Amino acid sequence: MTNHWNDLQHTDCALIMGANPAENHPISFRWLTKAKENGGKIISVDPRYTRTSAVSDIYAPLRSGTDIAFLGGMIKYALENNLIHKEYVVNYTNAPFIVADGYDFKDGLFSGYDQAKRTYDKTKWALAAGPDGKPVTDPTLENPRTVFQLLKKHYSRYDLDTVSSVTGTPKEDLLKVYKTFCETSKVGKAGTILYAMGTTQHTVGSQNVRAYAIIQMLLGNIGLPGGGINAMRGESNVQGSTDFGLLWDNLTGYLAIPKASVPEHATLDGYLKKETPPSGYWSNRPKFVVSLLKSWYAQNATAENEFGYQYLPKPGSKNYSHIFLFKAMYNKELDGAFLWGTNPVVGGPNAGKEKEALGNLKWLVAVDLWETETAAFWKKEAGSDPSKINTEVFLLPASASFEKEGSISNSSRWMQYRWKAIDSKGEARPDLDIIHELALKLKKLYAGDTSAQASPFLALDWNFGNGPECDIDLVAKEINGYDLTTGKLLPGFGALKADGTTTSGNWIYSGFYPEEGKNKSKNRDNKDTGGHHYLYWSFAWPMNRRVLYNRAAADLNGNPWSKEKAIIWWDAIQNKWVGNDVPDFNATLAPTAPGGTGAIMMNKDGVGLLYAPTMNEGPFPEHYEPFESPVPNAFSSVELNPAVVIHEGDFNKKGSKGTYPIIATTYRVSEHWQSGSMTRNQEWLSEIAGYMFVEISEELAKEKGIKNKDKIIVSSARGEITAYAMVTKRYKPFKVRGKVVHQVGMPWHFGYKGYVTGDTANRLTPHIGDANTQIPEYKAFLCDVRRAD
Amino acid sequence: MAKEYVKFVDVTKCDGCKACMVACKNWNDLPVEETAFQGSAQSHPKTTADTWNVLQYIEHENAGGGLDYLFRHSSCFHCTDAACEKVCPENAISYTDFGSVVIDQDKCVGCGYCVQNCPFEVISLKEYKDKNGKEYRKAHKCTMCTDRLEEGLQPACVTTCHTGAMEFGDKEAMIRKAEKRVQEIKGRYPNAQVYNPQGVGGTHTVYVLAEKPSVYGLPENPKVPTSAVAWKDYAQPIGKMMLGATTMALVGAFVTNKLFNKEGKEQDGGGSNE
Amino acid sequence: MVEMNLNRRQFLKLSGATAATLAIVELGFNEQKAYAKSKEFKIAKATVTPTICCFCGVGCGILVHTKDNTVVYTEGDPDNPINEGKLCSKGTTLRQLYTSEKRMTKPLYRAPGSDKWEEKDWEWMLDTIAKRTKESRDKSFIVSENGVTVNRTEKIASLGGAALDNEETYLVSKLMRGLGVVYLEHQARI
Repeated sequence: MTNHWNDLQHTDCALIMGANPAENHPISFRWLTKAKENGGKIISVDPRYTRTSAVSDIYAPLRSGTDIAFLGGMIKYALENNLIHKEYVVNYTNAPFIVADGYDFKDGLFSGYDQAKRTYDKTKWALAAGPDGKPVTDPTLENPRTVFQLLKKHYSRYDLDTVSSVTGTPKEDLLKVYKTFCETSKVGKAGTILYAMGTTQHTVGSQNVRAYAIIQMLLGNIGLPGGGINAMRGESNVQGSTDFGLLWDNLTGYLAIPKASVPEHATLDGYLKKETPPSGYWSNRPKFVVSLLKSWYAQNATAENEFGYQYLPKPGSKNYSHIFLFKAMYNKELDGAFLWGTNPVVGGPNAGKEKEALGNLKWLVAVDLWETETAAFWKKEAGSDPSKINTEVFLLPASASFEKEGSISNSSRWMQYRWKAIDSKGEARPDLDIIHELALKLKKLYAGDTSAQASPFLALDWNFGNGPECDIDLVAKEINGYDLTTGKLLPGFGALKADGTTTSGNWIYSGFYPEEGKNKSKNRDNKDTGGHHYLYWSFAWPMNRRVLYNRAAADLNGNPWSKEKAIIWWDAIQNKWVGNDVPDFNATLAPTAPGGTGAIMMNKDGVGLLYAPTMNEGPFPEHYEPFESPVPNAFSSVELNPAVVIHEGDFNKKGSKGTYPIIATTYRVSEHWQSGSMTRNQEWLSEIAGYMFVEISEELAKEKGIKNKDKIIVSSARGEITAYAMVTKRYKPFKVRGKVVHQVGMPWHFGYKGYVTGDTANRLTPHIGDANTQIPEYKAFLCDVRRAD
Repeated sequence: MAKEYVKFVDVTKCDGCKACMVACKNWNDLPVEETAFQGSAQSHPKTTADTWNVLQYIEHENAGGGLDYLFRHSSCFHCTDAACEKVCPENAISYTDFGSVVIDQDKCVGCGYCVQNCPFEVISLKEYKDKNGKEYRKAHKCTMCTDRLEEGLQPACVTTCHTGAMEFGDKEAMIRKAEKRVQEIKGRYPNAQVYNPQGVGGTHTVYVLAEKPSVYGLPENPKVPTSAVAWKDYAQPIGKMMLGATTMALVGAFVTNKLFNKEGKEQDGGGSNE
Repeated sequence: MVEMNLNRRQFLKLSGATAATLAIVELGFNEQKAYAKSKEFKIAKATVTPTICCFCGVGCGILVHTKDNTVVYTEGDPDNPINEGKLCSKGTTLRQLYTSEKRMTKPLYRAPGSDKWEEKDWEWMLDTIAKRTKESRDKSFIVSENGVTVNRTEKIASLGGAALDNEETYLVSKLMRGLGVVYLEHQARI
């Protein structure tokens, strides 16, 4: 989230797309209800009329997988009706930048495409640079090669008729949404976009989010109270676990992992030169990287050995993300796996295949509160033949969240502390202690080993106590970082250095523990410090900022665009930025100083990117059909996102629209959580949502002879499942490109363990991911349905 | 006298999260029960002895042809003139100063008259076995968390409700609030109304409904059954005089069977809860 | 330890009446106390500890009431500005994470080809896991590739972590990278 939960009450319009917060983030509606009471409008765009739709002012149906068409139409509407915040666009985005000659777009493809490799040569999309290396701009926005004019041209194709025929959204609904949301372009108004996995779990997921960013920048909604782009995260600490680098391509704090395939990464110097931009906040990257190395390798990290840079693993040229990981497991390339509270046999795409893959491991360690479907994948009840599975399985009982202490970071980036309420149940232990003791045991096994493979691990500093219990305070302080010269904790990442004299295990969190005894995640002063930002409650990274890019809520001179949406402003007397939030800007950099208007400070040139030449499938979002789609693409002859990786063969079968004519999507219900391993093991939640169901429209039910509560079979190219039919008025068939297209939806919470059981929806979903993130396309695939008897 | 309180439920603010259902079970330590798939997000067809409030989900095509997805927290209404209190032969049901209607479990003999006579069908019997294996029954329903009220805390369901769809407070203030709210939402819900039926003397769970009561399966104009009035106000005192309290249940059975129809329903108008 | 401020709980304004004087209206021959008074007040003498909900990413505050070594009640933390004491159905049920009979309370081991779990002690489990890790790592470790130091193993994967505390994710990150693990993924990807 750029903003935070409490801030939602300040919005004039919330566009909720690819999300169903009333069901999946219910407490968000405490603040959205307040926004409504203050006169704000709520818009729900969803294939299905949800409980969010029920409490919204406007509902627009949309066929799964057509968000870019829907949003492209809104971009066109905003530009053609001049419903943009022009001064904001000219100054805070790259709208006036001139794009160099290499860029072109024809019939669904941008310039530089390599058909055989399914990749683009992104250098073709470069922005024009002057002799000084600075971008060439036209602040009048009239030059046809400005980003602004190219944007206008790109989306001129997204006319109402085409959009409506692709999305299945009636034209009057499109107009109602466009008009209502674009009203937030007015100074004094702010609109927010709320999204979740309905946006990201597509082959074009990243570009769906990019489309939000374009709209919010055109309307001048980034940085404002009640504005922003707000990803509602599905797990209590998926924010933190991402911040802490539990993804193959990131170290902590979003520092890119050095790769064997990038020649410059062979040395620390080369890596830093390659990855560090000349301007923007990331120009400080060397300080973050060296401080991380000092945290991990301590005295073994010296200037002479590149601060231990070579100890870090460098992945090879392949992709190591979830789908690829399971493909490697399926192909018997892996020996062992650790699972930290995760249940891919229910939650993974094409889950039947992921279950099979587990049987190809030699050993599996599952750390969980429960015996999950994944931990028990070898059992008869899982449909397996135990005698044929040679995987050794270690199931370790973990403590529940309130049986231990530690912090978690919510969607708002607020790092809140959880105190221990009770001793762990039975012999369960905190994950912290399990990891710690495992590390100590491995250290012992390697002790005295002088082999080449032992040295990187032996060099790893592990000083959190010698006993089986980990000293969490030492971990917290290591994350914050120290000044090695004084031995004191660091006040924040502004104090980090690249010379090896500072440490920080995760630079974006530096400052949460600035002095002994002051772990700010424990802050519980709930006084409203102004604007409902609660600056003394917990700690928000970075540096306790509650609204990111808040400099953009002020004009070029540093005055708020409006008093209604003021948050920080320049105080010429005190010579600093003041207001209700911690400035997301250099606090003493005057608006008149060089860089003083570079409101989007993390980016090179200090502007937001309407045009993003870093994306894998092009600088502007373009509509492509999902991997499995019932209709051809209306916008070009390119059907599927040209930059996605297609996994061929048995691991990922593709269904045709002839055999599987119905669109399917998965989602969550408010009573269950993720794979259901937590909630299906709790009686009351099992009681109030006890059955696997599939929601289908009355029209489709009639066509298939299905009555409400009938048992039905849903099949896809990957498998089939049985579930109850929930026949509902809340799904309506779509009219898409002249034909009637049905969509069904189902929760993905069920499996064969727990108080309540049901078939696993993910047995149907495909192994195909977004072109940038490899997030699987759970939200639009093809199926068929029939009665079970 | 303490103040009279009302639980005000504004269904138009509810987003159907079911926290009220679980909060009730959590506070009152109620066990789970198995229910069949209902064909909607609804978990139980109605309240039971172990489930004192149920979230209703209704797909309603409104007069304008549009779809309304309606939710209602349904539980005991805590009537001012409570039929259950009137028909109870053991005087196990009583009013509290807060306005809640409670069942004294020590006195309840499980005869089921309250179940039969509740115009809202919110009371249920549960079967138990004593240590000798002998079966007995008790009637259960929402207590309005009277134990919490006595400690100065609001009912558990109200405490957890995040949208403000439920509030607990002074009776008059809550009713005024409900009336004002109806005016605010008439544009979106032309049939919106306050539901505080006078046929039962008004209730201590007062609703703002988005639609007519029958859409929610509620009686349009529930009344205390005249036979219940007759029983409570005439037959029972006479019987008590004649026979003493302990045998009243037997007389009750006789009188009830004679006076009441089979289902024990005398309410007029409206739909049913089926 | 944390200092709790329970003053913002949603107390009724009871017109000066105290619990003891709030007698149930007695009717007829009712001389017993009402049902509601017949049991001890549930959260009396319980220890209250604040936590944050373990489910979605909203981060609601929850109070955990413990008494006699069990969790007797969980409710929204009225001091937490995010939820102001309110919760959804999942957060409200947090108590059953402790009381559920399905909780795993002992380490379990499944041998190759076996059709059942065996109980093992922690020491044996962690020792064996450490051994397996070292074996797989050592036989597959790549120190350098095309003249570049790469220090990685592609034989071991680590998955998950979105339900862990920050401090725990930091240790997973540090230990796994420290071992050279490159198949390192979690729920943010799926």
